[in-house]
Amino acid sequence: MEGINFTENRSLVALLAAILPLFSFVFILSSKKGGGASVALSTITLSFLLSMYLFLQIWNLEPEHKQISWFIIGNVQFYAGVLLNNLSVLMMVLVTGISVLVHIYSREYMKNDPNIHRYWAYLGLFCFSMLGLVISDSLLLIYLFWELVGFSSYLLIGFWFSKHTASQAAKKAFIMNRIGDLGFLTGIMIIYTKFQTLDLHSLFGEGGLISTSTFESNFWISGSQQMPAIWLSIAGFAFFLGAMAKSAQFPLHTWLPDAMEGPTSVSSLIHAATMVAAGVFLIARIYPVFDPLVLDVMVWIGAFTAFMAATIALTQNDIKRILAYSTISQLGFMVMALGIGAYSESIFHLTTHAFFKCLLFLAAGSVIHQLHHYCVRNSHDFDYQDIRLMGGLRKRMPIAFWGMCIASAALVGLPLTSGFLSKDSILISAFEWAAAREGIFIVLPWLMVLTSWLTAFYIFRLIFKVFFSESREIKTDKMMQISDSPGQMTYVLLILSFFCTFIVFSVNPATFEASWLWKGFQVTSIKEISIFHWLAPLILNLGAFALILITYSIYVPGREPKLMQDTWLYRISNREWFFNEIYNFVLIRSIEKLSLLTYGFDRIIIDGIVNRMAALTQTISVISDWFDRKIIDGLVNSTGSLSRYIGRFFRNFQSGRLQHYLTTMLLVVLSFFILSYLI
Amino acid sequence: MGEEQIIFYFFAASVLISALCVVVMKNLVRSIFLFFVSLFSLAALYLFALADFIALAQVVIYAGGVLVLMLFAFMLSNRELLNSLKPAGSGFKVNHFAGILISLLFLFILVTVIVKTDLNQLDWMQESVPIHVNDNSTHQIGIHTMTAYLLPFEILSVFLMMVLIGAAHLARKGGRA
Amino acid sequence: MIPLSHFMLISAGLFCIGLFAVLTRRNAIQVLIGIEFMINAAVLNFVAFGKYDKISGGGQMFALFAIVLAAAGVAVALAIILNVYKYFKSIDPSKTNTLKD
Repeated sequence: MEGINFTENRSLVALLAAILPLFSFVFILSSKKGGGASVALSTITLSFLLSMYLFLQIWNLEPEHKQISWFIIGNVQFYAGVLLNNLSVLMMVLVTGISVLVHIYSREYMKNDPNIHRYWAYLGLFCFSMLGLVISDSLLLIYLFWELVGFSSYLLIGFWFSKHTASQAAKKAFIMNRIGDLGFLTGIMIIYTKFQTLDLHSLFGEGGLISTSTFESNFWISGSQQMPAIWLSIAGFAFFLGAMAKSAQFPLHTWLPDAMEGPTSVSSLIHAATMVAAGVFLIARIYPVFDPLVLDVMVWIGAFTAFMAATIALTQNDIKRILAYSTISQLGFMVMALGIGAYSESIFHLTTHAFFKCLLFLAAGSVIHQLHHYCVRNSHDFDYQDIRLMGGLRKRMPIAFWGMCIASAALVGLPLTSGFLSKDSILISAFEWAAAREGIFIVLPWLMVLTSWLTAFYIFRLIFKVFFSESREIKTDKMMQISDSPGQMTYVLLILSFFCTFIVFSVNPATFEASWLWKGFQVTSIKEISIFHWLAPLILNLGAFALILITYSIYVPGREPKLMQDTWLYRISNREWFFNEIYNFVLIRSIEKLSLLTYGFDRIIIDGIVNRMAALTQTISVISDWFDRKIIDGLVNSTGSLSRYIGRFFRNFQSGRLQHYLTTMLLVVLSFFILSYLI
Repeated sequence: MGEEQIIFYFFAASVLISALCVVVMKNLVRSIFLFFVSLFSLAALYLFALADFIALAQVVIYAGGVLVLMLFAFMLSNRELLNSLKPAGSGFKVNHFAGILISLLFLFILVTVIVKTDLNQLDWMQESVPIHVNDNSTHQIGIHTMTAYLLPFEILSVFLMMVLIGAAHLARKGGRA
Repeated sequence: MIPLSHFMLISAGLFCIGLFAVLTRRNAIQVLIGIEFMINAAVLNFVAFGKYDKISGGGQMFALFAIVLAAAGVAVALAIILNVYKYFKSIDPSKTNTLKD
């Protein structure tokens, strides 16, 4: 096995794992159209195997850090290298594992797309950039891959670019991410100014520059360097802004629902499982840089995002949009967990969420796929993503149904699922954090509990509407045409369903402390077992069960409460809290006003000056024209006419008359005489 | 003043006045006859220069040749020519003043030069032998013609023949002019 | 004895009269007469100077040649005038301006 040769140099293995998808990207783009599936799948599988190998080599063992000199600016040397620790290898396995599954799924799902080779190429590019992001050891490299991830996301959202909404969504995502990238770049610049290095290990590692820097009377001191303390907060906010855009947190979240215009498999891989987790990953990677102020802001933004997204998801009708808001909500959970210091809980939830959200999307994709085929076959046109039009698919698509049920249970945090462990760990941490701090902070855990209850409502609303009751569009006799998706897609659902159970993460289904993954990140292993450890899951699950029953009673018989649709609460939720409208109003309008103002300024002042200048120039040119015409031309013309007059005068002598000639001749002779006589 | 001077100045005045009349006169026939008067007077002046043969030749050639030629030229040519020879227009034209001016200026220059020159003191005149009144100048001319001036004489005779032929050719009636 | 300068003054006057005729007359024949006057003025000078040259007799000889040439000239000139009249229907020299380019 050649892996043995790499034992001493695990960095090379990581590098190889990252480069393989890039190779696939280049190879597929340069080869002929229509193919690429086998290349993409084989490279990503190889990459996954290498990642697994690395995971086994590094997890809970010695971290690996190898770097080479990249370039030198002035006296400062930049390094590029690979940093492999628990977080890196976990993310590597997560990214490549889910990628492999999505690749398998996509082979069937995207089978008939004419631009399929482009799809595989973009997936390769995405995997490359995501893996690069995960293993990079320098902020600069991370930033580079961060941009690449955003770019490949842009390409994949706009994959069906001939569709107007898709290209618009791609642009929106790109621009929103650009705002975040600006924050990220600002953070990098502050850090570089402060420490003259961008190396992750020396900055954020054990005894790194950040942890050894101290504060002294409002000054942030590290070695001989010192700058006002506020800069640390600003750097924290800047990095957080980058993470906010990537992880779709509250003010910058609107791109993610629109990103659902891409293929469902892409939504599953990028906009549910991996890329949106990059923001959380970034926060985790540079965690020491955040000071308490930034962490508090992070808590509230995360909590608010989670709550807001959950309320919006309540009333959405597009199956993918519901899942997108659910993703935003869960990302809010993770960010909030990071904010309260529940680092390992957050990563734990990131991992479990990746699996169950991927499963949700793929199951939804399966439903969409089958309904789309039904539409094509029966030339029956309806919006096959609208859950109001679906129904009764439970019998026809049992695997999708059960897969979705398991994933939903995990999402809500019902017992025996992975979500129970991770989500409850976050809630418990939130309760403990609130208990440690008095006052208003007690609202936070209850807000999270409420959000979780809402989660239960909206996800089961989706399930009941799609899989129970009757479809409005599909006649019962034609229902027989619909069945579970072809083999490969179903197997993927089954595998993912397995990963949504507690078994994978912990032998004990009741407490998250037993989870190997949680332990992998827990620095201080001993934690006080408080009352919340059994109280929080209890409250959560009781409420969740109650809500599921209520949901069942409402949606299964199809008794949708029409009255509710008239309330303003419903409207806020359905219109997604009017964020698009607010942005439209506040930003676009104000920009329009500003541009009107600048237009006016341009018109009146600039154009005025320009016009004055033009008039001045015109006057000058009129004068110079006059001068030219009268003086210069006058001189020229007078010279001309003078010579003409002279010519005409002399022409008179050439009259053709002999007597004139003679006269002239005699005059000359006379003149000669007179001259010689006088002189 | 002796009678020689009186006769000389009479003829001199005759020459100048008749010449002036010839030039100024509008009637062509009259001016041609006055032209004879002045030519004869001029021949008289040649006699005072002791050139009797020249005076004779002047009378013969001009009176017998030129005058007759002129008169015959008019008379032999058609009526229109004679009509057109009638005076056209009246009096002096503007360009007459230019002619008068130029002529007077020339006269002034010539007179100035003649007056300024001391003609009697010329070198070649001191050494030369003047013609005596009693000399037979015709004899002398005959000798000179056949000796020193034989070549010009012969050339002149050929030339005269050419002129005769040329004039006859030019004056040919209905010829291609 | 008539002084030489008197001959010359007369000759100058005759020359200028001829010149005047040549310059101003509107009749080709009068112009021709003017030319004859000028030639005669020259002949008069020849003759006057010839009085002092008995040996070679140049003055009288060239006076004789000049008279003969003048006569020949008159003959040719009259022929030319006749042709000019045929061509231009006029013998006014101021109307024959085809020398003009």
